[in-house]
Amino acid sequence: MNENQKNIRNFSIIAHIDHGKSTLADRLLEATRTVATRDMEEQVLDNMDLERERGITIKARAVKMSYTDSDGETYTLNLIDTPGHVDFNYEVSRSLNACEGALLVVDATQGIEAQTLANAYLAIDADLEIIPVINKIDLPSAQVDNVRREIEDVIGIPAEECPAVSAKTGQNIGQVLDAIIRDLPAPKGDPEAPLSALIFDSYYDSYLGVVVYVRIKEGTLRDGDKILMMGTGARFDVVEVGVMEPFGLSHTGSLSAGEVGYLTASIKNVRDTRVGDTVTHAERPCAQALPGFRAVQPMVYAGIYPADGARYGDLRDALEKLQLNDAALRYEPETSAALGFGFRCGFLGLLHMEIIEERLEREFNLDLITTAPSVIYEVVMADGSVRLIDNPSNFPTADEIKEAREPIVKASIITPSEYVGGIMDLCQDRRGVFFDMKYLDATRVELHYDLPLNEIIYDFFDALKSRTKGYASLDYDLKGYEPSKLVKLDFLLNGDQVDALSFIVHEEKAYARARKIAEKLKDNIPRQLFEVPIQAAIGSRIIARETVKAMRKDVLAKCYGGDITRKKKLLEKQKEGKKKMRKLGTVEVSPEAFMAVLRLDEE
Amino acid sequence: MANKTLGVYLHIPFCLSKCPYCDFCSIPDADKRTKSRYLSALLKNMTQLSPQAEGYLVDSVFIGGGTPTTLPPQDLKKLIDTLYRAYYVTEDAEFTVEVNPATVTKKYAELLVAWGVNRVSIGLQSADDGELNALGRIHTVRDFEESYRILRDAGVENINLDLMYGIPTQTTESFLNTLKYAVSLGPEHISAYGLQLEPGTPFFENRDSLALPGEDAEYSMYCYAEEYLRENGYEHYEISNYAKPGKRCRHNMKYWNSEPYLGFGAAAHSDFGGCRYGYVSDIRAYTDAVESGGQDGRIYAEREIHTPASTETEYVMLRFRLREGVDKKIYEALFGRSFDSKYAQRLEPFEAGGFVKNDEDSCRLTTDGMYVSNTILSSILDF
Repeated sequence: MNENQKNIRNFSIIAHIDHGKSTLADRLLEATRTVATRDMEEQVLDNMDLERERGITIKARAVKMSYTDSDGETYTLNLIDTPGHVDFNYEVSRSLNACEGALLVVDATQGIEAQTLANAYLAIDADLEIIPVINKIDLPSAQVDNVRREIEDVIGIPAEECPAVSAKTGQNIGQVLDAIIRDLPAPKGDPEAPLSALIFDSYYDSYLGVVVYVRIKEGTLRDGDKILMMGTGARFDVVEVGVMEPFGLSHTGSLSAGEVGYLTASIKNVRDTRVGDTVTHAERPCAQALPGFRAVQPMVYAGIYPADGARYGDLRDALEKLQLNDAALRYEPETSAALGFGFRCGFLGLLHMEIIEERLEREFNLDLITTAPSVIYEVVMADGSVRLIDNPSNFPTADEIKEAREPIVKASIITPSEYVGGIMDLCQDRRGVFFDMKYLDATRVELHYDLPLNEIIYDFFDALKSRTKGYASLDYDLKGYEPSKLVKLDFLLNGDQVDALSFIVHEEKAYARARKIAEKLKDNIPRQLFEVPIQAAIGSRIIARETVKAMRKDVLAKCYGGDITRKKKLLEKQKEGKKKMRKLGTVEVSPEAFMAVLRLDEE
Repeated sequence: MANKTLGVYLHIPFCLSKCPYCDFCSIPDADKRTKSRYLSALLKNMTQLSPQAEGYLVDSVFIGGGTPTTLPPQDLKKLIDTLYRAYYVTEDAEFTVEVNPATVTKKYAELLVAWGVNRVSIGLQSADDGELNALGRIHTVRDFEESYRILRDAGVENINLDLMYGIPTQTTESFLNTLKYAVSLGPEHISAYGLQLEPGTPFFENRDSLALPGEDAEYSMYCYAEEYLRENGYEHYEISNYAKPGKRCRHNMKYWNSEPYLGFGAAAHSDFGGCRYGYVSDIRAYTDAVESGGQDGRIYAEREIHTPASTETEYVMLRFRLREGVDKKIYEALFGRSFDSKYAQRLEPFEAGGFVKNDEDSCRLTTDGMYVSNTILSSILDF
């Protein structure tokens, strides 16, 4: 180990949502005087508005800090923040692989939650040294000793001596810094070896092109180097190499083994800089790429359409811009008879989908119609070929299918024990297969289920929340595909099938789901001049029906004192409103009503 | 051109109490000073504009509100005298005053007739005291009946009853009783309006807790009215209006026929001289504007100059309120092209649904069509 490496510590902070990860990061920045207190904007690392509002980290970030300990020794601390949601588990694992250690933040009032465990296991898999940090000790309901015991019992790492802090007040933050210096190993690696650097994040900057965050594992990277991305095969000339300061990039000219920093190379698209890929020198490549790289696959698909059909082009431009920064986002044009021109978009999960929708609406000022999310189904056709179906409209008919398969996830739910019954009922109802149940302590239980992903994206989160008053937490991982009795449920309005409403559902669920959606349609479709029959069908078999009664009254009865202008304005407004209506066959429905039908809330 | 005709409307924005569904310009608690300032402004307003109406024969006068009869008789007389002085009101003009039950004494009724009032419109609304109460009306059916007798006895030979359906707690049965009661009195004209919930009114704010009969029941009531009144000799000539032969409201017909009318008072509307305009609805703002001479435009809440396009749109919109609809020959004469060339195709789906009848000579809404006329008009008209 060289002198340079001895004084470097590369670490992540991992935690369940809301346990105080970002607040702790802020305090560390302050304590190392990397950011002056007066410049502190709440949660420097979460710099997207959405991240601050939702209290989650969507993108990984990294920042370099400098810390001088009580012996006068100065250290470089590279903090690599990780996204805090199950949708982004792969990104988390790559960020962890860029580190030697992790701070596992646990809320002293909540104890271990599903993502605490999931993240801890990821850190253990990555061979990281883990320092538990018990947070929120300033709260009256903090139970520090219980949480210490829980960490030791459940995760199996010593927590007797671990720092107990308040990231909010800054109490005991020094202990965290001392533990980082003392307990985390310094990085290794030979600066003279062929270059291998792990990409753990990248973002698009309109001046620099893609800025790639890397951890140098072996070798040295310099300005002007010719590099090769080993996974994608893309080659670039490095423009600039440097480190991440809290408020910007700082050009250093070189990065060597053990260091964390960025490179720019006039790269146009983040698709060329995949998280997990290995950067090496084009002329002197390393023998082997770093392990664990995979192209992230979207798990959830939905159709996104502009509420105003004329803004299709704006939607396309917006998606293009978002994709510059989000390699996981997929989209391709699709046409719906009901909704017109739009895009079939692929997301890592529901949260990812919500984030994209929100960013499209906020940052690009678009009103959207989004179809119900769908997973990818595997269909073995009668002729033996296999088709992947990401759009329910393309689901083959029953006689064309030899076998249909759906994605199953291994789900872990941590809950106060009093809700176990309710959760078991819920999982049972959502076709879950019970695996096991463990008591974490006297009052908390971890349940393992295999669950179909399409049940989770239907309304599982909300249902879980409402049945456990929000106390249960959920984490899951894709297990694989399993054969399933799937059917395509279609909806007909006035006899015309509405493609945008079709979805795939397990046979057993079809009736209940059909009735529920039919009722919602009835409640949300405004009365038309004629009676509108609503039918739910599997193939040609009608399994539920409702009727929207004919409109009887739409009149300005009184036209008092010759106020013609008012009447005219009213009709004008009505005509204006009609322009926004979508024609579902012969039935006119406002975008709001359409979205209301698709809004998935329990009962 | 001495035979151009004109309607005149005077607005009296005062009431004994404000009904919770009412969004007209009226206040229940005006003090004496407000009232006298308002009346002076109204007189001034009428006088100021009279030169413009030179050569027009006023063949309809409508004094509405509010409740005009909350004014002391001498005040109302002053208004009428000014009107006669400033405008040429014809001998046979239709002269309507709106009256609310229990606001008119025998004496007052006789005075009205003596001043030339020959038509009275009374707000009965319902023949069920429970429903009147639900509407927040301050009179009973008995009060109404007494007022009705007083007016007849005083010699009013043309009376309109205002009825309402869609009232909280109302049933189709109780509405039929109201219709029977109304017909039994033999008024010359009946207006039957569906209750409309207007934003800003207490009814609108509390709409979820009102026991409203609902759209389907309301539609039945509308159909009942149409059928029952027709059977009893009343012609359904406009969406909400029924009349015995020859007794259509001349004043209201001016609105539907795009004929000129002048309105005076707060929130009054006019269509005159190629321009449609409405005065501000705030009583004080109106009074101030008139007092200051009315030169700076403050008096207007809105003003719109007719264009060929707006004239055409309004014509169709208004004619479709009438049972006889659009006369195609007249339409062609007015606008220089055939009605069908513009509308036939647009009307097709509505014709197929039985909402529109499009014949060779005329095009009109059916009874069902009238009740969904907003949907039809907003779809076929250009704005």
